[in-house]
Amino acid sequence: MTGRVIHFPRMPLSSEAGQAAADRVLNTPIPERAALADALALDDPETLLSLCSCLRRRLEASPAAVLEEADFLYRWIEKPLRDIGLFDERDYFLGETALLAGTACRQLSRRDEAHQWFERAEAGFRHTINVVGDLSRLSYQRLAERLEERQIDFVREMLPPLIDTFRKMDMHEDAVKCRFLEGLALMETDELADAVTLFHEIAEESENLGNPRLTASAYANLTHVYGMLGDAENAMAASAKAIPPLRKLDDRVALAKVQWGLATLLRETGKLPAAIGAYRRAQEDFQAIGMRADYAALNLVVADLLLEQGREVEALREVSEALPVIMELKMAPEGVAALALVHESVRRQKVDRGALRELHGYFEQLASGTS
Amino acid sequence: MEKPSSRPFDEVQSVFSQTLSVIHSALVSDYRLTDEEARGAEEDLLIWFQRLSRRGGHMPERMLRISLLSATCQYGRSFQLWKLGGAPADDAALNDLLAREPDEVATELDRRLERGDRP
Repeated sequence: MTGRVIHFPRMPLSSEAGQAAADRVLNTPIPERAALADALALDDPETLLSLCSCLRRRLEASPAAVLEEADFLYRWIEKPLRDIGLFDERDYFLGETALLAGTACRQLSRRDEAHQWFERAEAGFRHTINVVGDLSRLSYQRLAERLEERQIDFVREMLPPLIDTFRKMDMHEDAVKCRFLEGLALMETDELADAVTLFHEIAEESENLGNPRLTASAYANLTHVYGMLGDAENAMAASAKAIPPLRKLDDRVALAKVQWGLATLLRETGKLPAAIGAYRRAQEDFQAIGMRADYAALNLVVADLLLEQGREVEALREVSEALPVIMELKMAPEGVAALALVHESVRRQKVDRGALRELHGYFEQLASGTS
Repeated sequence: MEKPSSRPFDEVQSVFSQTLSVIHSALVSDYRLTDEEARGAEEDLLIWFQRLSRRGGHMPERMLRISLLSATCQYGRSFQLWKLGGAPADDAALNDLLAREPDEVATELDRRLERGDRP
């Protein structure tokens, strides 16, 4: 027999006290927390529950900060072995903080780290009481990561069973999030008309579920697709539905991507100086939230536009700035010919425009968002 | 702000209340805890259950109930094993129950609850 002795807890915090404790934790610099652990009630499950909830909401506003916090919490819970909560709560918090860290890494294009965090999340979630639901949420993040790695066929194969699981478990919002991946896969394969139809369906379904973040994200993606199609009227209409709620939700990731979509529209309609200005604003947004991969991808797009205007020296500077980030973050898999060609052309101080276009096109189609 | 993903407190309380008689019966009649021990267990289970309902993701009501019953059986089994201190019980039915996985017993309890059997 493998009986587990239950430890009876000290008087737990109420949920309100847990929220207040979570605020105190977040307002305390990380290096000072261990010494103040008792005063901060850092091993109280109410504190941890509130912290996880708060970090989940902040993922779209500041992924870099969420990564730092989730990393701290995971390490805190993991070692030394702490007796946290009742039953499966320690395993749940290990899984949840690792999932948050992995999701933030994915947003930040730190892929190797994302994979490691997802492994850690699985190790925790394997022992939770809601193992199917928790592992399904992890599966969604893993598929989103695979989509960013261009494993389109695999993602398309695995999405239907995952959606089915979410629907069986009444996890309708998670099912809708999976449909975003379907839409992004359609964009990747240039099936833009189908992507439009799908994102409209998603917007309607999200509205019916009463989830403003998902609704706004659907319109953010529509802004991008219509931008790629050069459809100014619909792109502007979609952005008008996306921007106000995203601002209200402080979803800075999606807002930056809407800006990218509008810049694409300007480019597709031949307004090059305005497009460059709009891409620059998107870059500023990405820089502010630490999304270096998106910033670098836009360097390449801007370089292409600068070449169009005959501004070769500036274009070279843009590409030179982007390449180290692209290499460091492994944004393109090994063997992508365009990357090697661009690299070589920079060495020769004359940008290979065909290769540049191929490379930024590679990044651009996945510019829209998942959460 | 976006609405939190957690469900209303009343709904959670209602699932717990509807399951309480089965919980109590499992702890006292099946796992042989005293009334007082069972009441202590129920207090802990309620605290844990309220937090379970506020985790990331969403659990349908039935899943919440099965989880609660599973935690109940895990609690009852662990507590009784601790009381026995490694020795077998004099009661063969209790020994049989302690040899079973808590999740399996919980699923059985849930089926009984769905059929409307009285504990």
